[in-house]
Amino acid sequence: MRLLIVEDDAPLASGLQRILEAEGHAVDVTPRGEDAVLAASHEKFDLVILDVGLPQMDGFEVLRRLRAGVSDKNGSTPVLVLTARDAIEDRVRGLDLGADDYMVKPFAMPELTARVRALLRRSLAHGGPRIAHGPLTLDTVARRAFLRNEPLELAAREWAVLEVLLAKVEKIVSKEAIIQAVAGWGDDLSPNAIEVYVSRLRSKLEPAGIRIRTVRGFGYMLEEYKQ
Amino acid sequence: MAGRSLRAHLLRLLLPPIAALLVIGALVAYYPSVEPANQAYDQALVDIGLAIGNHIRVTPTEYRFDLPAAVEQVLRTDRFDSIYYRVMSPAGLEIAGDADLPAPPGDQMAFNTMFNGEKVRVMSVQTPCGRSACTVLVAETMVKRTRATRDILFQSLFPDFLIALATLVIVWFGVKRGLQPLARLSEEIKARSSGDLRPIDAAGAPEEARPLVGALNGLLDEVSAANRKQQRFLADAAHQLRTPLAGLQAHTEIALAQQMPEACRAQLEQVHKATIRTARLANQLLALARAEPGARSSSEKIDLKELAGAEAETWVRQSLVRDIDLGFELEPAAVEGDAFLLREALSNLVHNAVEYSPRGGRVTVRTGRRNGHAFLEVEDDGPGIAPPERGRVLERFYRVPGTPGTGSGLGLAIVREIAASHAASISIKDGAAGGCRVGITFPHG
Repeated sequence: MRLLIVEDDAPLASGLQRILEAEGHAVDVTPRGEDAVLAASHEKFDLVILDVGLPQMDGFEVLRRLRAGVSDKNGSTPVLVLTARDAIEDRVRGLDLGADDYMVKPFAMPELTARVRALLRRSLAHGGPRIAHGPLTLDTVARRAFLRNEPLELAAREWAVLEVLLAKVEKIVSKEAIIQAVAGWGDDLSPNAIEVYVSRLRSKLEPAGIRIRTVRGFGYMLEEYKQ
Repeated sequence: MAGRSLRAHLLRLLLPPIAALLVIGALVAYYPSVEPANQAYDQALVDIGLAIGNHIRVTPTEYRFDLPAAVEQVLRTDRFDSIYYRVMSPAGLEIAGDADLPAPPGDQMAFNTMFNGEKVRVMSVQTPCGRSACTVLVAETMVKRTRATRDILFQSLFPDFLIALATLVIVWFGVKRGLQPLARLSEEIKARSSGDLRPIDAAGAPEEARPLVGALNGLLDEVSAANRKQQRFLADAAHQLRTPLAGLQAHTEIALAQQMPEACRAQLEQVHKATIRTARLANQLLALARAEPGARSSSEKIDLKELAGAEAETWVRQSLVRDIDLGFELEPAAVEGDAFLLREALSNLVHNAVEYSPRGGRVTVRTGRRNGHAFLEVEDDGPGIAPPERGRVLERFYRVPGTPGTGSGLGLAIVREIAASHAASISIKDGAAGGCRVGITFPHG
């Protein structure tokens, strides 16, 4: 995957570069917003990691120009905004301008890499009909699931719940959000019903090492697949 | 001029002229009413003198005075005063009566003098006797006159006095009433939270108080400008601190992922821990500074349920590392406040609970309304906080002796400051399953 890091703090930029390169990505780094906009108009990136506090052209302006379609190459490229400011307005402004995720400095590297993976996965999911998560593969066109390359039987509702969770690996999905995504018009699904589907999914997926964590009183989270 | 009451000042200004007016009013009313009364009494005395004069008999050789006892009694009868008389011939010889009753000096008709140790009014009456005139002096003590004077004085003074009293009462309450807009203004200012630096609405203030409101607004404006400057400084400081810390953290984590001698690794892990602690400390100090009275920059409607829900993911990630079962019982709880500070408070409570609970422990975050008050709380089943320590853990940099981990002792102090800046109260109680329950309860609303 091709990543662009826009960060003016050299030690942090080089640290991020090394970590993401270790994950197997091709990483370009620039400390200037103007250069980032220029680079984005020539080349297609799969993800942009953008610091808000840049000298001269700040991160918000870079984001605005990306989203305004300086080139159609990166108009929908996921953008992860980094900020050292915790002002809520900054957060809202970043998300309003079309940022896909937001991290406040300093942050743990595993969290950064997890978010990068999630964003890349999401942009992949947009592109293709196949969603993969460790040994699990979903063919969203044929609506067929495979576990370790074996066909996996899933009821329609189970499929729907799994699809929601897969779209947000490592993210908490509230029960309400699942109900909204799963229930059709006129259906009346109770939170208890969701629990039933999740427990059925667990019994099918856990033997393969895929874990769905319950966040008590809130929802569920499909954990990162670890070998 | 400090502490000078406007009311007392007004009364001090008004009292002397009112008193002067009272005296003048009394004098003006007194003389016109006292004079006729005195003249009437004098006339009555003259009548008695004339009646007495009728009893002078003139013979060629002498003047005889022949007053029957019954008549004398009638003439001298008075309810209050004693009456004296003295009858003298035209030549000035004594005919009858009290010879030592003094006659008016010169040709005066009436005068006041002392007789028998009492003040008396003496009238001299000329009465015909033969071809010339005899003189009859009639005197009367002053009891009636004094009493009449007193009554008249009282009757004329009393209404004046009432008017003066009414004036004072009107001034007293009128000033209070007149100052009511000012009292309302000060109530409005008192009711403000320490961070509310919006200008005061001058429309409700009386015309005379506008300059005061204007000056206050000017001051508020300056304070809030200084506040904004401080906020900007804090944000800049945050940026300056956090970015290098993020770099430091990135590089230690990269280094830790490499192969290296065990001794080196132990050192590097210390560096990594210190980095994380420093980052957290920097965040906490900034939060503490922002929670200081007057530093609060924003006040908006916040639903604690949404606030907690938005942070749930970060907390769950932290709790996964320590194998803590983090759960939520979130009900809507609307409060007015600063979202950053409230999130910081809740994060600190969750961090503490997760940090100090044993592996496999259970931590629950709650929001909602209880007895009409919005609240947030975090309950754990960790070691708890002994009741004697509960007050002290809220102090800055205090850590319960023997506590494991690397906390700074700032977490709960920050929560307390943030609670205070929202006029909310903080409580530490026993948890249902051991451990403790730390909560913030917000004022009405």
